[in-house]
Amino acid sequence: MPNVKFKRSAKWEKELNKCIRCGYCYELCPLFKSFNWESDTPRGKLLLIYGMITGELKPNQEIVDKIFSCFYCKNCSDNCSAGVPVTDILTDARADLIQAGFEVEGTIVKIDEDLCSVCGVCVPLCKYEALSIKEQGKDERKIVVDKVECRGCGLCVAACPSGAISQIEGCEVTLPELHAKVSELLKENKDMKALVFICNWSLFPGMQLSESPTLVKTPYGLIVSMCSGRVAPELVLNAFEEGAWGVMVAGCPPEECDHNGNYKARRRLVLLKNVLKELNIEPERVKIDWFSTGESAKLSKAIDGFVNDLDKLGPIKIDVKKIIGG
Amino acid sequence: MKIDIEKLNNIAGENNVSNNIADLYAYSSDASVHQAMPTVVVRPNTIEEVQKIMRYANKNKIPVIPRGAGSGTSGHTVPIDGGIMLDMKQMNRILKISPEDMLVKVEPGVVDDDLNRALKPYGLFYPPAPASSRIATIGGEIAANASGVRSVKYGATRDYVLGMKVVLANGDLVNLGSNTRVHSSGYQLERLIVGSEGTLGVVVEATMGIRPLPKFRCLAVANFNKLEDAGNAISDIISSGANPSMLELMDNIGIVAVNKALDLGLQEVGAIILFEADGNVKEAVDFEIEKMKRICEKHNGFRIEMSYDLAERTKIFSGRKKLFAALSRYKEGIICTDLADDMGVPNSKIAQTAGKIHEIAKRNNVIMAVYGHCGSGVIHTKIMLDPKKKSQWKDAEHVIEELYDYVHSVGGVTSAEHGIGLSKAPPWKKARSDIVPVMRNIKKALDPNNILNPHKLMDAPDDWVKATNLRYKVVA
Repeated sequence: MPNVKFKRSAKWEKELNKCIRCGYCYELCPLFKSFNWESDTPRGKLLLIYGMITGELKPNQEIVDKIFSCFYCKNCSDNCSAGVPVTDILTDARADLIQAGFEVEGTIVKIDEDLCSVCGVCVPLCKYEALSIKEQGKDERKIVVDKVECRGCGLCVAACPSGAISQIEGCEVTLPELHAKVSELLKENKDMKALVFICNWSLFPGMQLSESPTLVKTPYGLIVSMCSGRVAPELVLNAFEEGAWGVMVAGCPPEECDHNGNYKARRRLVLLKNVLKELNIEPERVKIDWFSTGESAKLSKAIDGFVNDLDKLGPIKIDVKKIIGG
Repeated sequence: MKIDIEKLNNIAGENNVSNNIADLYAYSSDASVHQAMPTVVVRPNTIEEVQKIMRYANKNKIPVIPRGAGSGTSGHTVPIDGGIMLDMKQMNRILKISPEDMLVKVEPGVVDDDLNRALKPYGLFYPPAPASSRIATIGGEIAANASGVRSVKYGATRDYVLGMKVVLANGDLVNLGSNTRVHSSGYQLERLIVGSEGTLGVVVEATMGIRPLPKFRCLAVANFNKLEDAGNAISDIISSGANPSMLELMDNIGIVAVNKALDLGLQEVGAIILFEADGNVKEAVDFEIEKMKRICEKHNGFRIEMSYDLAERTKIFSGRKKLFAALSRYKEGIICTDLADDMGVPNSKIAQTAGKIHEIAKRNNVIMAVYGHCGSGVIHTKIMLDPKKKSQWKDAEHVIEELYDYVHSVGGVTSAEHGIGLSKAPPWKKARSDIVPVMRNIKKALDPNNILNPHKLMDAPDDWVKATNLRYKVVA
């Protein structure tokens, strides 16, 4: 095992002592909700980091895998009244572990070099400058990922035209998983008219805390995406194929998105609406709207309005499966 | 300790069994100061799995530590001798909501707030609500007899337990209690499990009473220059026959801490009281609030503000709800430790106990915040210290000894709602030497091999500092 010098993370010992391990940090943690181990909770990771920097715990691959699993939604830091900067600590621990030579994966995006055409679309897309093009010899170039800076937001996954970028499975964030979720929701609920993609950062915390969606039958289904920028057009088309009357994307207001994913979603959906027109599908079946944290009441109202509009339109009149499939 | 991982894999599935160091270390601590690693973590999904695990553990005399949210404050789930950590959070289904019988049947891993979100559309609620209700599981609440902010009117978990299914140490499944509000059919064994801290059996299903949600709730906040006045106001409110649904105290240390942590802009007075009344008739709620307001004024309470509005009430209450962790922000260099955290005292002793706590803290070089559900006699404190200094842990030991001697001398209890675990065991055993042997006999009858959460409560070590490693690196 590599020998780690905790140069960057050692400075956090005092802050780590402030963590009283109340556990409020994991209430809204998407990673914990997916895997459900204590080591997936933010407080669990902080304990692992504390153990390593104080020398009680020897770093190994199992620990490293946990430290590199986080979507940086920051629901944990926002909920920590001890003010422990969870994700800052995590980033420094990651830097130390990478410097020591550990192989890391976790929620960091992966590039399939066989599929990647090095078109470079993903590079300017990443707000954290985690992606770059590396010249390798005379005519060889490849996309490289800065594994400290990658926040796992996955905007590049949704944008990559070659489908060369992928991410951890099991958290319902990969495209195949989102497709499966879309199909599952619509197959199990034949009366479901609308699908609503809601952002994990701004809206999902509030939605989770309002009422249990599983117990109240609604004419719409909610799908959490890690950012509105993750909603790829093919997900919308998949929903139409499976019988949805409309799709709504709820993202953070302009200037409030951590990753500028909302702008990307808007641009993408404008293009999609043009395609829908060509296919004789009413473009108003796709809606994008902005909501801030805590505006779950406004969102509920907007969803009701959208479902009302869909009622007036009725089901899609053409055979989407045939057109898209064909 | 030799544990057959293959055997456990066969029982719970290998995705639910882990002995990798990341998991063992993460499960080595709860919200207490203690730390010790289990040998393996298992996440059962069914009653049968729990039974099989217990049969295996009993046969091989392996400790089993049932665990919910891991939010215990006194080391209840810290495994001194290692063993199997039984993480119950995956058994989290609400099995039945029965408005006609006014009860719910739940698996032990159901989170308190999730249950209440599910009950809301029915106009019902489950009243026990510890501050940690966002993560606390019903199983854990049963184990600790949790109560929370509404206990002053609605009581504790024990008042809602109608029945439960429990897997005993030998793997047998027993059905305790009933589906009725009362029963007189033998020992109230379901109540024996309440507060047993995982030492008598594993709760695998609980039948809990529920109540109609009141139509109106009004929350008020009153400011006091002196902590003593606030304490006396609380005692007076209770003895006046008023019927608050919440009656909380927060001292100046708490106010300063939440201001720093949450930027609430509260005036940093000597103390505040939060009081709430609820009911289906607004005039009756108004009457209760007015009555409590007058008592506060009699004790020099001022700037008393109130609201029926949910958003406003949530804002007023947010400081109290997040106080526990916020205390770590009170002063640079010291942090909040979960020690001496939840004594209970008789109603008439609230003000003097609050004053005594500050006095003992000052004399022993630590800071202690005083807050809690004082309407129920619950006084929360936390010892705030520099965890790196060895001398500060000595200070904490002195505080604990002095404080609990005092609390017991005025007729109080060691723990009102968090449980005894490890760190409160020494003062509790000292005060209740009469019941310790009775409890040991009960434990022996139900768990002769002493495998269920051993070394806790009456069997905890006499020195809480040395009971396990402290989870802080102490250097000098």
